Amino acid sequence: MSNAFEPRIVVLCCNWCTYAGADLAGTSRMKYAPNVRLVRVMCSGRIDPAFVLRAFQDGADGVLIAGCHPGDCHYINGNLKTMRRYPALETMVQQFGIEPHRLRLEWISAAEGDRFVEVVNEMTEQVRALGPLAWKQRSAVADLSGSPHAG
Amino acid sequence: MEPRIGVFVCHCGTNIAGVVDVNRVVEAAARWPDVVHAVEYKFMCSDPGQGLVKDAIVKHDLSRVVVAACSPRMHEPTFRKACAMAGLNPYLFEMANIREHCSWVHEDKEAATLKAIDIVRAAVAKARLLEPLQTRFVPVTQKVLVVGGGVAGIQAALDIANAGTKVVMVERAQSIGGHMAQLDKTFPTLDCSACILTPKMVQVAQHPNIELMTYSEVESVDGFVGNFTVKIRRKARYVDEAVCTACGVCIEKCPKKVPSEFDEGMMPRKAIYRSFPQAVPGRPVIDKESCTYFKNGKCKICEIFCEPKAIRWDDQDQVVEEKVGAILVATGMGLIDPHGLSQWGYGRYPNVLTGLEFERLNNATGPTGGRIVLKDGSTPKSVAILHCIGSRDRNHKEYCSRVCCMYALKFAHLIKEKTHATVYNFYIDMRCFGKGYEEFYNRLLHEGVKFVRGKAAFVTDQAANDDEKGKLVVSAESTTLGEVLRVPVDMVILASAVAPQKDAEAVARQFGMGLSPDGFFMEKHPKLEPFSTATDGVFLAGACQSPKDIPDTVAHGAAAASTALSLISRGTVEVESATAEVLTDFCSGCKVCQDVCPYGAISFHEDTKLAEVNASVCKGCGTCVATCPSGAIVGRHFNDRQILAQIDAAFLWE
Amino acid sequence: MSHYATPMMEVPDMIVESGGRTLDLCFQCGTCSGTCPWNLVRDFRVRDILTRAQLGLEGYEGEDLWMCATCNACVDRCPQGVEIVDLVRTIRMLIAETGAAPKTLRAVLGSVQSNGNPWSGDRNARMAWVKDQPVRTFDGTHEYAYFTCCTQAYDPRNAKVVRAAVRVLDAGGVSYGFVGGSEACCGDAVRKTGAETNFQNLAAHNVGLLNGLGVKHLLVPSPHCLNTFRKEYPELGGKWQVTHVVELLADLVMSGRLALKNAVPLKTIYHDPCYLGRNNGIYDAPRDVLRAVPGLELMEFGHTREEAVCCGGGGGRLWMETPVEERFAVLKLREAQARGADAVVTACPYCISMFEDAKTALGLDQLQVLDVVEVVAAAL
Repeated sequence: MSNAFEPRIVVLCCNWCTYAGADLAGTSRMKYAPNVRLVRVMCSGRIDPAFVLRAFQDGADGVLIAGCHPGDCHYINGNLKTMRRYPALETMVQQFGIEPHRLRLEWISAAEGDRFVEVVNEMTEQVRALGPLAWKQRSAVADLSGSPHAG
Repeated sequence: MEPRIGVFVCHCGTNIAGVVDVNRVVEAAARWPDVVHAVEYKFMCSDPGQGLVKDAIVKHDLSRVVVAACSPRMHEPTFRKACAMAGLNPYLFEMANIREHCSWVHEDKEAATLKAIDIVRAAVAKARLLEPLQTRFVPVTQKVLVVGGGVAGIQAALDIANAGTKVVMVERAQSIGGHMAQLDKTFPTLDCSACILTPKMVQVAQHPNIELMTYSEVESVDGFVGNFTVKIRRKARYVDEAVCTACGVCIEKCPKKVPSEFDEGMMPRKAIYRSFPQAVPGRPVIDKESCTYFKNGKCKICEIFCEPKAIRWDDQDQVVEEKVGAILVATGMGLIDPHGLSQWGYGRYPNVLTGLEFERLNNATGPTGGRIVLKDGSTPKSVAILHCIGSRDRNHKEYCSRVCCMYALKFAHLIKEKTHATVYNFYIDMRCFGKGYEEFYNRLLHEGVKFVRGKAAFVTDQAANDDEKGKLVVSAESTTLGEVLRVPVDMVILASAVAPQKDAEAVARQFGMGLSPDGFFMEKHPKLEPFSTATDGVFLAGACQSPKDIPDTVAHGAAAASTALSLISRGTVEVESATAEVLTDFCSGCKVCQDVCPYGAISFHEDTKLAEVNASVCKGCGTCVATCPSGAIVGRHFNDRQILAQIDAAFLWE
Repeated sequence: MSHYATPMMEVPDMIVESGGRTLDLCFQCGTCSGTCPWNLVRDFRVRDILTRAQLGLEGYEGEDLWMCATCNACVDRCPQGVEIVDLVRTIRMLIAETGAAPKTLRAVLGSVQSNGNPWSGDRNARMAWVKDQPVRTFDGTHEYAYFTCCTQAYDPRNAKVVRAAVRVLDAGGVSYGFVGGSEACCGDAVRKTGAETNFQNLAAHNVGLLNGLGVKHLLVPSPHCLNTFRKEYPELGGKWQVTHVVELLADLVMSGRLALKNAVPLKTIYHDPCYLGRNNGIYDAPRDVLRAVPGLELMEFGHTREEAVCCGGGGGRLWMETPVEERFAVLKLREAQARGADAVVTACPYCISMFEDAKTALGLDQLQVLDVVEVVAAAL
């Protein structure tokens, strides 16, 4: 393999819509960028902002949160909780100096295998264009600059 | 004690192994901490494959099992069962999806193999932290709701009722019977639709185990598999069913006429009406929207002529509640709006008909008493049947409607028989796949029906020569000849596409089902579970799942019925074990969890100032877990430690 | 000699690689052939070309390939979403590269190359149509930049239309100026004949020119310019708002900014230009304008709006010979006459040219051919 930068994207998704949508992409033999790893929870309402931060901390270059379309939640309205939580999460992530395109919220239904593919490919390219996040190193640099040994 | 993890990697024939190097996955897995056993096998879901898991649990004293194969939505239940049979708590099993999410979506073998290793590593990381859960059961209500009284619902309801289980059948229209009741003859046997359907309709009405609610709609659905609570709106009929003798005098006397839905608007019905003469129930209803009395307070002619005094002007909609163990959705199909088909002349030329309009024209109870005639009353000398109108067409519906080729053949036969007209079929492909279908096609060839292999491009009344004057002209290429034909005819029948019901989306939402990209209800698995849905206990029957002809619809109805029955006769049902749990030591009593729970499963105890989860109501969505500011709620089987471990292992970060 | 045909997969591969991605979607239903207006006058099967191209069989590259007037009727109806016009263009491009394009087209393309227009008109005489009429040149402060179609600039008949446009736009108080003599052909017909390099050169010139002038909003008299600027220039760097004159006229008339006072007592029949109607969905604007003209009667052809029959002038056909009896414009004039029309009205320079030619060929002196703009000018 070449040494070109390959983005690493963690997808936090619900079981009923987006995970199933990704399954449909598979059964339909659609092709997409191999840069995502899915972490399944039952409902997007389960997605704790801490999971997102942990993924960035671990070294993810992007995080995609995905669930059912508003109104289609398997658990009535868990996704609306996600939707309400998201702006705060977005702000927080940006305050940490993480570019907006690295975090994304999408509604992808079980019937939208094509949409899943589209979002994954699009996000992979966007994140690729941004380059590695290396948040750990970035925050390490930030720490150093504040320490008496810096400079 | 350290967990002892077994990892089993499936080839799925070449489905996985053709892209992912399964041996490398096994080699990688064998090196991870706590993995004491790692093997690959051709088909893990097969009997010997499951045997491998069971044997290894015993032989290697496994305390966790990871199977890397297809989607957990496919085979998680299979392997959980296998684990349980070998004495391992089924919740100590974890699945890694390296087929749908890996081998099927990637072509680069190296990248796919590395991704598969990552996926399995994350599954192992989660498995390490899994905890055993108690499987819980609740009793199943011994009653089934059947939504829709077409032939699918009728078949299902009778099968279930005959097995001794109670059925509630809800039908939106005044009568059951559905689209099949609108047909005259059925292909390929040409038996009379009414003759085979009406006895079944009567059986439904008279069956001691079936409660029939027509002119009614499901208003809401609550609960879960085995224990649904359904609210049904029974629309006001303004006719007392207990008193009415269905003599029909009121219908005869009613002065108000409106287009009949049953007759595709081709003839009128009255404001007090039954859908058709053999309607079940036979007692009429008053359509409030059209009734003169309801409009301007005068008339009541029906009441005057009603001998048994059955008219009830003060009748009200009633909402009744039913508790059922299973729901069978058989809401049927709709038809494409033909007004979008203007290039084929619909709406522009009166002698261009849709398939269903022709069915009514040809039906003995229809607007012409079954005579096939033009709008001016004369008999057509030539008829063109245009296949694939709105089907197999990206401008309309991409799918094949599956019934048109055969009903077109049936029409051709009936037209020949009744009028001796010349009949042309314009088709892309003849799809005559069922039992006796190809034979029927052959019969039509014997009858001299003309077939042109080419889709009709348009229909026009603009004559290009004298032969075309006063005719409808069909333009199509005979693709076998490479000649463009213009065929003047008297009547054009559009084999117009089958479509999802207009309210399919709302109905899907109501019952917790999904829609396929084509807009029909989505089945759990297209091949193995075409009658189940994403929601346990909700089943599908008939054309609401995809276009179907009558034999397939009946078979689907019976299949759905037997699946529902197996749930009912099991008597109990396993409920979610992966529920939420409050850690009382950390609960601050802020009640935020109570607000976010969509099921009202969380109660707050004023005395202890603590929240508590009612496990039998909790569905395990985990919204409260993510919301709790004190981290005092644990989502079983998806707890923070498990998910974080999975994230940590999602990639080889360095 | 054997009569077996052997597929040559290099052909479809090359077509797909050159941009004809929808070639393989065709499932031979024949809707395109059944739709194509050529069958009104001669044998022509679009599907035959597509099937031959799919299999790489001889015949896809024959003379028929150059018949297509790119009217888009088949594309609209194709159940498989095959971009037939794009495919024809792509195949023409591949054939043109071998030097096998029709001779008449070579002269036209030569003129485009040297003069920037297909009419062998002097590049410096592009504004000669003005004569002594005062016109404004676009200076960056005007709302609209009027892009003159080559056919209006060099064809005396169509020059009358642009002069009428000046009177109408001035009367409506529109803020506009002419791009003027430096503009080059939009390249629509050039591209449709397969001359991709020529088109790219023209586009590069126009993009540079218009962006340099600070154009934001283009006003165009030709549906062909409209379609090309709207749909093909954006990816080449030309991102302007584009309005057809007839759309602006409808706006002016409906909002009352342009008063039509004079009666024009004509029985008119409106012809939908393919690139205005089918390609850009503009059906109502010209009809609204005509209905607002006092004393004017508006009739319709038997096939109209989405189903309108082409004039025959698109896709380079304007420069190719068609026997009189095979011209769509001839059929349409005959129909107009049979319906009792005094004037065929349209909104496209190509249609005007085709109809004027047909009128001469048929000797129909009493039937007028008019642009909507001319009708409006007469009503001022």
